[in-house]
Amino acid sequence: MARARKKVEAPPAELSMTPMIDVVFQLLIYFIVTIKPIDVITNLDVFRPAPDQSAPKDQPPPNLVRIGVYQDGYTVNDVPAKPEELDAALSKMAEIDAGQTIMITVSAFSEHGMLVRALDLCAKNGLKSLSVVSASN
Amino acid sequence: MKKKFPEAQLDMTPMIDVVFQLIIFFVVTVDLQSKALETKVRMAMSPHGPIEEQKDPRTVVVDVDKDGDISIMRTRLSEGQLLTILNKARNESGQSTPVVIRGDYAAKHEAIKRVMDICGQAGLWKIRFAALKEKAS
Repeated sequence: MARARKKVEAPPAELSMTPMIDVVFQLLIYFIVTIKPIDVITNLDVFRPAPDQSAPKDQPPPNLVRIGVYQDGYTVNDVPAKPEELDAALSKMAEIDAGQTIMITVSAFSEHGMLVRALDLCAKNGLKSLSVVSASN
Repeated sequence: MKKKFPEAQLDMTPMIDVVFQLIIFFVVTVDLQSKALETKVRMAMSPHGPIEEQKDPRTVVVDVDKDGDISIMRTRLSEGQLLTILNKARNESGQSTPVVIRGDYAAKHEAIKRVMDICGQAGLWKIRFAALKEKAS
């Protein structure tokens, strides 16, 4: 009897890997599909003079570099400039003194993107003392 | 006489249960974090902007969309409401509370100026503009 019992053996238990692989692939595909690269965001510092400052509006101190941001382009010390020219002017100013204050006057009707571009060029040239003034026109 | 044992079978039900649980969990939780900040604001590019190393936990992020509408965490705000919020932020965490303005590149400066003026009214002077340093493709 004992011999007869020994003959009847269960087949070795096998763990089927297929479902696990299926699941792993599912998860993998899910993550590949849903993962979204994140935009790198930077913050541009500006200094804003108090609006109630009683400084003369039309005559800013002459030692300031004045950048104008208008609807149709930039000006450097009231001379119209293309973005490349603005970049060149800023790099020249940064060579002289990177700590000097740049006064950026922004027209109310200009796009925000233009101001950001001007600030970006200032950051590129290492100019950190930036003052943003809003013009009413 | 051969006695046949039933073949060992792997019960799939618990695994499928777990997989569905996982899928539902990820579908529900993914993106909640980013969606809280996700708006229709398309920020301007600033490839030279400084890299943000430490974010001040007090930072208030104000969104300005291309139509000039103001919102915080996707909640539209009137100017009065924004002033109330900024006043509260100043009372709670001081005048050096940073305000980050996430302006759409096509927003008119007028709208940005309004936000900056409200910051000034609330006594907050640390204003920064958010821009994209690198755009995720």
